Amino acid sequence: MKRYFPFIKSVVLYVLLTGATVLMSFPLFWMISSSLKTIEETNSPGIVWIPKQPTLDAYIQIFNNSDFLRSYFNSVFYVTLAMAGTLISIAAVAYAFSRIEWPGRNFVFFLMLSTMMIPAQALIVPQYVFFNKIDWIGTFNPIVIPGYFAGGAAMIFLLRQAMAQIPKELDESAFVDGATHLQVWWEIVLPLVKAPLATIATFLFVGLWNNLLTPLMYLQTIDLYTLPVYVSTLYNINQTVQPWPTIMTAAVLTTAPLIVVFFIAQRYILESVIVSGLKG
Amino acid sequence: MPENPYLNVALMALFTAVFIVACSYGLGGVARWIVRKRGGTPKFQQNTFAGYFFAAPWIIGFFIFVLVPLGFSFYWSLTDYSIASKEPPNWKGFENYRTILFEDDGFRASILNTLYLTVIGLPLQMAAALFLAVLLNQKMKGEKIFRMAFYLPVILGFNTAVLLCWRLMLNAGTGIINQIIRALSGAFLPFQYLNRGFIYIQEIIAAFFLGLNTGKYNLLLNVLEAGFPADNRVPLWVQSPLWTKMSVILLMVWGCGAMMLIFLAGLNNIPKELHEAAEVDGATGWQKFWKISFPLLTPYVFYNLVVGLIASLQIFEPIFVLYRDNQPIVSSTISMVYYLWQKTFSHFEIGYGSALSWVILIIILIVTLIQFRLQDRWVTYDVY
Repeated sequence: MKRYFPFIKSVVLYVLLTGATVLMSFPLFWMISSSLKTIEETNSPGIVWIPKQPTLDAYIQIFNNSDFLRSYFNSVFYVTLAMAGTLISIAAVAYAFSRIEWPGRNFVFFLMLSTMMIPAQALIVPQYVFFNKIDWIGTFNPIVIPGYFAGGAAMIFLLRQAMAQIPKELDESAFVDGATHLQVWWEIVLPLVKAPLATIATFLFVGLWNNLLTPLMYLQTIDLYTLPVYVSTLYNINQTVQPWPTIMTAAVLTTAPLIVVFFIAQRYILESVIVSGLKG
Repeated sequence: MPENPYLNVALMALFTAVFIVACSYGLGGVARWIVRKRGGTPKFQQNTFAGYFFAAPWIIGFFIFVLVPLGFSFYWSLTDYSIASKEPPNWKGFENYRTILFEDDGFRASILNTLYLTVIGLPLQMAAALFLAVLLNQKMKGEKIFRMAFYLPVILGFNTAVLLCWRLMLNAGTGIINQIIRALSGAFLPFQYLNRGFIYIQEIIAAFFLGLNTGKYNLLLNVLEAGFPADNRVPLWVQSPLWTKMSVILLMVWGCGAMMLIFLAGLNNIPKELHEAAEVDGATGWQKFWKISFPLLTPYVFYNLVVGLIASLQIFEPIFVLYRDNQPIVSSTISMVYYLWQKTFSHFEIGYGSALSWVILIIILIVTLIQFRLQDRWVTYDVY
């Protein structure tokens, strides 16, 4: 009997692991399955696991919905623009905190770490007034521009830790050869921290793509809506029967980029989260 | 300014980049000038310039987007400033704070809801996270695939689209979750009693918490009077104020992947020798977990507790997507940040909203500081 124990143990473990995986990914399965159903099937009192006759009607409908397509473009556009500025500024600030000795560095670094305790939401009210004053309500500016000022203390910290591990001799020999800080930063240090940069880029992407609160506050008109804001309006609160297949199709198309990015970058993310204990 | 919104923001981004670079030069130049006046070496001058030049984006941003807004919002929190009114704001002293702390029903509801999520939701979430972490820590083949599947909900968690899918699944009548519960209850009698027992206990606790909020315990009496739930009862996830918080907890448990990774890091840090020594002494797997692994995991439990508590103050998207259209039940699940949003942007009362922001800020600061102070006391570090 004892001989079989390891075998039984591993069977039990795999059953538990598989069961947990099924539970955790069930919403995704249900989303895809529902997007292929008819409205009658999604609202029926019986369980329809997989539609008998899968229909792509909802997909055709959503690809003809110009509001949805525009909000998709808006999301891609704003995320790209915001990410470019945020990544570059974070990389610059992390360089200052890790590779240069300058008076006041420790104080500024401490200040930056303490801003991690300030929740972003505590600042939304005064920021709203500020953006209102300079007439930025109803534009993309409030959700793009703040990132350009190295938004995200936790990410600066993560990148700083990675940069601090690069041997000092590397840039010193470059300086002897007459290189400037800009060159060392761009050509020597950044190529060596590609993995942490990828992690940060992924977190940034996920955060921006999922962001609902600030676009909801600032984007006022349907022309500017990003995906999360637009998709939330697909659930029509004045109707009793919801167009679930359409909503779930929009949901599939909204989550697809997240899943693709996660699969590409998961190796970096999961390792760095385990190492640094950073919450994503 | 051109009318095209895309061109508009792209130009603004370009302008911002130029502005930041110019400010960086300026800041670096001033710093170098000061160092030169004090007689620093050329190398030191150069490093000072470079340091301030590279750090400038954050320093400028800190002033524009953190320090100045905090200062203004503190000033406004002492007035009745409102964007909508034309009149200049009136000084009110600490009146806003007094109202929030002692007279505001919505704020009290949000505190009690956070308490409910902390007392009932967080233990469930952490238990799920710890269970998955221990499973993964067995180092089976394919561990990485499972780890990925367990973490994916964290990435998707608060996307509106995914939350809408939950809304579909949580529908009390036709939703898949209740359909499965009905099917299982019909098939297995033990499951049916388990389900009814769960409904009973959950409704009593939730009714008690709602009673704490309103000061009236009619709902609790109703639940107790109705007695043990009938055999065809199912949870009323998004329909009843008794169940709204439980739905949020369900979402929390689903998104336990982040906590799981923290626990996994903790399990990886436990020295192998400890388990080997215990095995020699004849300890069972169960004993090894509770006597060795769990005590060593307490710092991670504590970390997750604090992070989870702060996160539950900030829940916004699930409430917006699941309950926005059902105003009567929103207050049964409202979080502090949702309340801040609702209060500030329905009437644009900036003064009151600023005071609320400061209260949230101070609560989070206190929680974080308590974490720093307490973690040395009742957390086991010494074995490392």
